[in-house]
Amino acid sequence: MASVELVGVEKRFGSFSALQHLDLSVADGEFLVLLGPSGCGKTTTMRMVAGLEEATAGEILIGGRRVNDALPKDRDVAMVFQNYGLYPHMSVAQNIGYPLKVRGIGGPDREGRVKRAAEKVELGPLLHRKPRELSGGQRQRVALARAIVRTPQVFLMDEPLSNLDAKLRVTMRAEIKHLQHELGVTTIYVTHDQIEAMTLAHRVAVMNGGVIQQLDTPEAIYDRPANLFVAGFIGSPPMNLVPGRIAGGTFQAPGITIAGAFPAAGGDVILGIRSEDVTIAAPGEGSIEGQVYASELTGEAVLVTVSAGGARLIARAPRSFRGGFGSPIALNVDAGKIHLFDEATGRRIAFADRSDGG
Amino acid sequence: MTEGSSLPGAIAAAPRPTRAEPVRLSSRSRRRIAGAARTLTILLVILVFFGPVVWIMLTALKQPRDVYSLSVIFTPTLDNLRTAFASPYFLGSRTLNSIIVTTGTIVLSLPIATAAAYAFSRFRFPGGNAWSLGVLATQFIPPVIIIIPLFVAFRSAGLLDTRLALIIANMSFVVPYSIWMIKGFIDAIPADMEEAAQIDGASRLRAIWDVVVPMAIPGIATAAIFAFVVSWNEFFYALVLSRQDAVTLQVGLMGARTERGDAWEIMAAMGLVIILPMLVLSRYVQRYFVAGLVSGSVR
Repeated sequence: MASVELVGVEKRFGSFSALQHLDLSVADGEFLVLLGPSGCGKTTTMRMVAGLEEATAGEILIGGRRVNDALPKDRDVAMVFQNYGLYPHMSVAQNIGYPLKVRGIGGPDREGRVKRAAEKVELGPLLHRKPRELSGGQRQRVALARAIVRTPQVFLMDEPLSNLDAKLRVTMRAEIKHLQHELGVTTIYVTHDQIEAMTLAHRVAVMNGGVIQQLDTPEAIYDRPANLFVAGFIGSPPMNLVPGRIAGGTFQAPGITIAGAFPAAGGDVILGIRSEDVTIAAPGEGSIEGQVYASELTGEAVLVTVSAGGARLIARAPRSFRGGFGSPIALNVDAGKIHLFDEATGRRIAFADRSDGG
Repeated sequence: MTEGSSLPGAIAAAPRPTRAEPVRLSSRSRRRIAGAARTLTILLVILVFFGPVVWIMLTALKQPRDVYSLSVIFTPTLDNLRTAFASPYFLGSRTLNSIIVTTGTIVLSLPIATAAAYAFSRFRFPGGNAWSLGVLATQFIPPVIIIIPLFVAFRSAGLLDTRLALIIANMSFVVPYSIWMIKGFIDAIPADMEEAAQIDGASRLRAIWDVVVPMAIPGIATAAIFAFVVSWNEFFYALVLSRQDAVTLQVGLMGARTERGDAWEIMAAMGLVIILPMLVLSRYVQRYFVAGLVSGSVR
């Protein structure tokens, strides 16, 4: 087990810059998730840690040792691939045992360790099967078992759940979390699924355009998004974002006026509010008046999209809510949960009564 | 169209009775006719493909005086084989030459072709595809054009009339084609697996050996069969580059065209020896070939 550090790492493919000056440090035993849309550089970052991709500039350290020039085999990491990366001509047992075999560990020692790893992921009875005779979830378990069969310094997981169906994904997510906790191995996990990121991570690095947008705990990223990208990327449904203007301590947008403890010299801003911080009210009883654009029952709640002025806001209403298309409705906003972003830079604006420092 | 307008009645009328009043065949007799037609077609195909083989086999066992008779009833003899193995035909040493040249070609070509195929498949070369296409382009040059320079080169190297010369000459066409056959298979192997092997602790070479080669086996087997067939049957280079010591079966066959006419029964006896490995091969190796052709459809 070891820490992982990336210092000023850059990656260019020809003239395309995939990563720009990335600084990232993962503590020993930490579960760090790299989260971002496709093409944001998260997989490239992980592949550089693995040694499958060379860094154009900067240093990569595993356990304090510079590994830029080390081959993948000498970095003592284990990786779980999106497509599992199993060896189709080998049985499950041979697949799991391969990392031991290439390290010259044979005989009963290898057998025992393969068996223990297989049992940990509940693969015991399938050891003699070939990968093609397994279901997607079982293949994923083989890939996991192969990663844990020897205790590497770092686990790397590249979207390991994205090929599984939704139900299995939830189960496997919990198993991965449990396994990582039990083994205490430093883990870097790449995903574009924010739920996976929120549920698994100790810390999340939200990436976009080859730059880390925010690196913090899931709570902090949810509660205090550092910029518009993070605000829009995290949360389902995404945060409501309303462009407008602050003048005299009041937020104003076409058809929307919100009074609150806003900074006096606000100027052009974008106001963000999560759907669960917006409550519905009878027409005339809220701060924002509008009409129901659509309402969607999710099971535990109803998501009501309201068109107010030039904007559309999503509110989370109790599951008993029934509002017809176009019926008038009012919304109230929890003033303490409002986020403000600078319209020009997209950065979060900290304001008076909020001790978020962000 | 023109026919229809010139013979309106005949064209239009002909199909009508069958449609309105089809010839009532019981389904059983219809099946019987279809079965007979199929059997007949199969027999015809068999005759075309195996007729010459059977003819050679029979001729090899005939006495010289029976060779031109079409009768299949004759007193079989093994004299022809005995003569073929003796001077001046030396069937034994020529078979050995053929075996050594063919085996040598396969054993040397496949590792080279596999390594080259891997390189062409996985690495980006300056100049892109030009290199791998160039390898194939060498095959568009007819052997007749390069045979004289090749002859001169082998003479200066002192390799004329050696098996090594024939192996090298065979490799000049076996390796390029094999590279392309194997490359197709390696292209289809996802890079994930090799990368997984490297992270699991294997060197690149070990990853190739442990993961890429086993998965490319159908392709390598296909290339091996190809290499065997073409080098076993190779005639032109062997004719020019061998004289006495390195003469192969194919060239030896020409020895039966003597001043006293063609000794068909001797040629047929030699033909038996030439055909034999092909028959064995097609019996035991074809499933690899088939596996090679269908692999990739199932992952």
